[in-house]
Amino acid sequence: MHIHLKKDWQLPESAVTSESAYRLRPRRDFLKTLGWGAMGAALLRTKGWGALTGFPAQDNPAYLGAGLKVTPFKLVTSYNNFYEFGTDKGDPKDEANDGWQPEPGWTVEIAGLAANPGKWDVEDLVAKMGGIEQRIYRHRCVEAWSMVVPWDGFPLAKLVAFARPKASARFLKFTSFLDPKHATGQKEGNLEYPYVEGLVISEAMNELAFVATGIFGKPLPNQNGAPLRLVLPWKYGFKGIKSIVRIEFTDKSPFSTWQKMAPDEYGFLANVNPHHDHPRWSQASERIIGGGIFTGRQPTLMFNGYEKQVAAMYKGLDLDKYY
Amino acid sequence: MRWYEKLLRSKAFILTMIVLPGLWPAWPILRQDPTVAADPLKYLLHHFGFVACLLLATVLALTPLRVLFPHAAIALALNRHRRLIGVGAFFYAAIHLTCQFLHEAGWPTFWQDLRKPFLLAGMATFLILALLAVTSPTAVVRWLGGRRWKNLHRLAYLAALLAAYHQAAARKLFPVQVLWIFVPLALLELARVVRQRLTRRQQVLARPAPG
Repeated sequence: MHIHLKKDWQLPESAVTSESAYRLRPRRDFLKTLGWGAMGAALLRTKGWGALTGFPAQDNPAYLGAGLKVTPFKLVTSYNNFYEFGTDKGDPKDEANDGWQPEPGWTVEIAGLAANPGKWDVEDLVAKMGGIEQRIYRHRCVEAWSMVVPWDGFPLAKLVAFARPKASARFLKFTSFLDPKHATGQKEGNLEYPYVEGLVISEAMNELAFVATGIFGKPLPNQNGAPLRLVLPWKYGFKGIKSIVRIEFTDKSPFSTWQKMAPDEYGFLANVNPHHDHPRWSQASERIIGGGIFTGRQPTLMFNGYEKQVAAMYKGLDLDKYY
Repeated sequence: MRWYEKLLRSKAFILTMIVLPGLWPAWPILRQDPTVAADPLKYLLHHFGFVACLLLATVLALTPLRVLFPHAAIALALNRHRRLIGVGAFFYAAIHLTCQFLHEAGWPTFWQDLRKPFLLAGMATFLILALLAVTSPTAVVRWLGGRRWKNLHRLAYLAALLAAYHQAAARKLFPVQVLWIFVPLALLELARVVRQRLTRRQQVLARPAPG
């Protein structure tokens, strides 16, 4: 007998929308792409579609869900905060596809307090994680807007296990790429680069922590953080560092880029918390991307609705103080 | 009179120049630019606020331009339209505020967010512009009397300061746009103050010594 246990972090089916917004059969799409032959594949690569290893994504029956209310692909790939390629939401889709090539030859380094350090070609590393699965998560930006995105990737816990952290390792420090020649925002110096993010090791091992290599069953578009990025659905979007090149296990709490920029506005934890406002705006509710002019706001949930999976990690912690 | 002087003196031309930026958003919305479609209201909110700031800075720049270049035909022609441009700034601020109300989806969030200094500054700017717009018809100017009217309308400088802060705080990072809009105005004002001081001193020196 085959029993489908619905994971409790799956979005409810009350959030169902038109299927046209999201094609449920990415596998077929991908085969079509393959059908174009070697030339088509080469074209995809030069366009920088990211790590192809593991695609098509394994249809995980527990997580695929029947047509959840997913934000249309076009909006997910046109409304991006990726300051390396400009500060306007529309900048990354143009600037990140104008000469910057996250592939081939992208390597990810595992360093620091780990028994299995080294530098891996991104495709090899993804292959070692044992295939790609798909998960649909809410995505809440610190600017008080939200999306729903079907991510393809693997649990971060798998990568932690692969790195074999030493007992003294308490934090993970993630570093993104540095390429001011192609990344216009880095050339301008709108933030301090390379972009850095950090996690407590228990957070990295949480079942929700995810390394995405794709969206909508396709390899990550450049503007979404190709070839691989973090996805932490209970935290604000800026914690989801894009285009990772280095993961270091440390015993000291890393300083994240935004934390350094404005420590009173962006904390290290950056958990979604409707009760702790940004100094300049309320976090109690959020705009829904694609929601239109008159219907675009909903209340923000504690831990972005993932309280059940993550609240235990922060038990007894004053979340107003550690924001 | 040169052709451009004629054009700049024409009320219809200036009105068109004020209305056009308000129609601009129709273009990305109609062609369904996906970045705009993601949250069209936020786009409109930012756009109308931007135009309001631009018009406010423009109208304030006209007086120092006239003082610094008293014989320039362009400066004189533009100075005829101070009221029109100022009221234009108020109208864009009003549309911007309406967008903000829709963006907050009603009173609860609107009031909650209004406690933030950055939004409070925006609201104060709007109230000043509203007061100045209401007192701009000729009849009201007469009723108030020239001096009182002038003193009241000096609030426009406070409005510009508040608007610059409001615009600067509206994004995660400091938007360079604010500098493009308000730094030239600050420089013009500075130059005007220096110029007026010098003129006054010359007038004092030119006065015959008391005998």
